Amino acid sequence: MRKCATAFTTESPAAEGQENEDKVMKPRFLLPLVLLLLSLFVACNRTKRYPLQGEVVAKSPAAGEITVNHGDIPGFMAAMAMPYRVKDPAVIQQVQPGDRIAAEVVVGSDPSNYWLENVRITDQSGRGQSRMPTGSQMLAPGARVPDITLTNQDGRKIRLSDFAGKAVLVTFIYTRCPMPNFCPRLSSQFARIHNELKKNPADYDKTQLLTISFDPKYDTPAVLRKYGLAYLDGDESGFSHWDFASSDPADLHRLAQAFGLEYEEQDNQISHTMSIVLIAPNGTVARYWSTEWTWNELLASLEQSAHGSSQAGGE
Amino acid sequence: MARRPFLVAALLAALLSCACEPKRQQPGAAVIEGEWIYDNNCAECHENPQPDLHKQPPNLHGLFLRKSLPSGALATDSQVRMTIIQGKGTMPAFDQRLREEDLKNLLAYLRTLR
Repeated sequence: MRKCATAFTTESPAAEGQENEDKVMKPRFLLPLVLLLLSLFVACNRTKRYPLQGEVVAKSPAAGEITVNHGDIPGFMAAMAMPYRVKDPAVIQQVQPGDRIAAEVVVGSDPSNYWLENVRITDQSGRGQSRMPTGSQMLAPGARVPDITLTNQDGRKIRLSDFAGKAVLVTFIYTRCPMPNFCPRLSSQFARIHNELKKNPADYDKTQLLTISFDPKYDTPAVLRKYGLAYLDGDESGFSHWDFASSDPADLHRLAQAFGLEYEEQDNQISHTMSIVLIAPNGTVARYWSTEWTWNELLASLEQSAHGSSQAGGE
Repeated sequence: MARRPFLVAALLAALLSCACEPKRQQPGAAVIEGEWIYDNNCAECHENPQPDLHKQPPNLHGLFLRKSLPSGALATDSQVRMTIIQGKGTMPAFDQRLREEDLKNLLAYLRTLR
């Protein structure tokens, strides 16, 4: 495109010192020039756009595609369900099967190269087949947390009640999460909190970090161990203060409901929300966070709770 | 003589045509496919600074121009493939998430990054 734009500025072919002749020739000269340049400009911008409306029937984040069941797209495609690429991963994360969308199909110079842009969800009421929990089952601050049994990175069974007397910061991840603002951010910020707590033995002894995977099929103890060591900079002793654990799907679902976590597996990738829970030393929910938090805010709340001055509340 | 401006215009247009369509070879289908895979799975971490992450993901431009990968391992297709599938350090594993064809296309694209 830049070359095309530059090309438009290079028009000075008229011979010098022939003013009269130029005046006569100009219209005849300009017309073919303009027409030719116009055709070249069009040739350089050969993408076409078609409006699309339809229902998302599947999505494949790894391939960057969503499958849309759409009506006729005159000039491009008859009514059918077919996969379309979407460049923005955030869009793929956002849309769910059952959503009705409006978008533009952009077709490149090669007609086999097409994708969607300007995707908007127009109706979410059909969103279904989700096993996402409803918010109504989420524990209120002050409620006692269920004593779920988990298996940690060493293959050892642990229970939430094992941490009685400590303030526990719990979050949920899956190790293959590729979205930097989700699981990698959670684990990175937990690592920062862990490193800060290590500096003060009084805080370290009264606190615990717990990262729970909601992908137990893939996140075996060995996988969790490797994952945890990466965030502990290879220091195995850190596992005594920061467990990486998982559980059977039924217990995970129960815990997710209790802690307001939503997750749904599709195409080996898991769409999920974020949930961070602070459990007070007495085993009750002290506070929740979802997306708006900073590591130092979490650290401060954890320390306050550990020393018996937690603030109940949540987002 | 009256025809000269028209000829000049036609010649100029022909030259511009060359400018619009560079002589260099168009990327193959594998590279185009690989770019999609890269944009949707890799670019967010490897093309942008990630101050919230424990370790900064390395920039992958020129990955295959160097003898060794950021990890120190040899810069070979098999090593890069293994890193993608198994993950490395805090980089998540893409195991079971990319098809064999996706991996081949992604490697083809990574080789074009300068």
